[in-house]
Amino acid sequence: MTIPLYLAVAQWTLLFTFGLLLIVVYRQLGRTLRKTDTAAPLGPAVGSAAASLEYSRFADDTVQYLTPGDGQPTLLAFVEPTCPSCEKLVLALGTAEHAGELSGLRVLLLTSSPKSYLRVSDAFRTTRLECGRILAQATAEAYGATSTPLLVAIDRDGVVRAAAPAIQLAEVRTFSRACLLPPAERESIPITAAAPRHENDLEAAARPLEPTEKGGVR
Amino acid sequence: MEVLALCAKTALACVLIVAGSAKLADPASFASTVRLFIPFRVAWPLLSAIAIGVSLGELAVGLASLTLPAITALNALVFAIACAFVGVSALGYAFHRGRSCRCFGALSQRKFDAAGVLRSIVIAGVAAVALAHVGAAALQLDATARLLLIAAAGLLAVAAFTAARVRGPGSEPEPEVVAQ
Repeated sequence: MTIPLYLAVAQWTLLFTFGLLLIVVYRQLGRTLRKTDTAAPLGPAVGSAAASLEYSRFADDTVQYLTPGDGQPTLLAFVEPTCPSCEKLVLALGTAEHAGELSGLRVLLLTSSPKSYLRVSDAFRTTRLECGRILAQATAEAYGATSTPLLVAIDRDGVVRAAAPAIQLAEVRTFSRACLLPPAERESIPITAAAPRHENDLEAAARPLEPTEKGGVR
Repeated sequence: MEVLALCAKTALACVLIVAGSAKLADPASFASTVRLFIPFRVAWPLLSAIAIGVSLGELAVGLASLTLPAITALNALVFAIACAFVGVSALGYAFHRGRSCRCFGALSQRKFDAAGVLRSIVIAGVAAVALAHVGAAALQLDATARLLLIAAAGLLAVAAFTAARVRGPGSEPEPEVVAQ
């Protein structure tokens, strides 16, 4: 019995394609394992250029394209509605916004969760801040958002000025100042403590953030 | 030459199956790319419908091309689609350089750039090779072989869909919503 030429070619092509898919999944497995490594750096490097990102805005279900460095300082909060610490950060941001402390800043809550997730959290459901879902995993990777909450301060030139976990109002104020201060004064931004990555992460809460050479914090 | 043409044909069919399935795994992301090429404001549900339609179209043509090799008109259709890829890549390079093309959904992080245009041209070239005449004897498939090909193509589509879901954002299941 002879196999038709087409079938012989097709089976090899299919085998080759399955192999490629296997490699893709294998690489993803490696990334996932790296992501759960608690020693992995969190947040983008201070002083680096912030990456552009796309997100689906929950308010009107439209896709928005954010280009840091467009002249508007930006405060990005990577949060998840199912994360209690993130709820605290959202509340702190809401309080600061209500008090007018974030005026002149573009504040954006970014999540990887679908819109329906917002309903599980009072803080997310009621916030007046702009909230959206990141559309590409590359965005989270570009910002080093390996865990939440993560607050990233970006100045008007699109340069990352601070990136760290944060949940408290005082930290939000410090980050907003980092966004707004002119370059000459950015060197003196003091950020003293990191917020816990998770509620039980007391060790992280007690660890002070280290100032970097470029004036930000990690 | 026959082997080359059949390789090109099956490879392109697999590319279309993988691309279509991967896009279907996260239509919202692909819809954002579709939006780039529509010059006027379009409602999000319509964009999603277009994205799903394009993805299903790619998947259907890929499946048909792989499992119905004797229909030569499908080769011309695949070539036309490949030419459309070149056009889209060129437009993306001209007007949306650096934006994600999501050509393979979450499986690839390719952007609209010069390399993307080159890749599309290569794909169109491969599609042109697949247009070469192949003897009818080489394309003869009995019912069992055809069923096996359909099963393999379906498996490939599911594998690509699953891999794209794993790589894409927001792959977690919807949470239970407690009554407020």
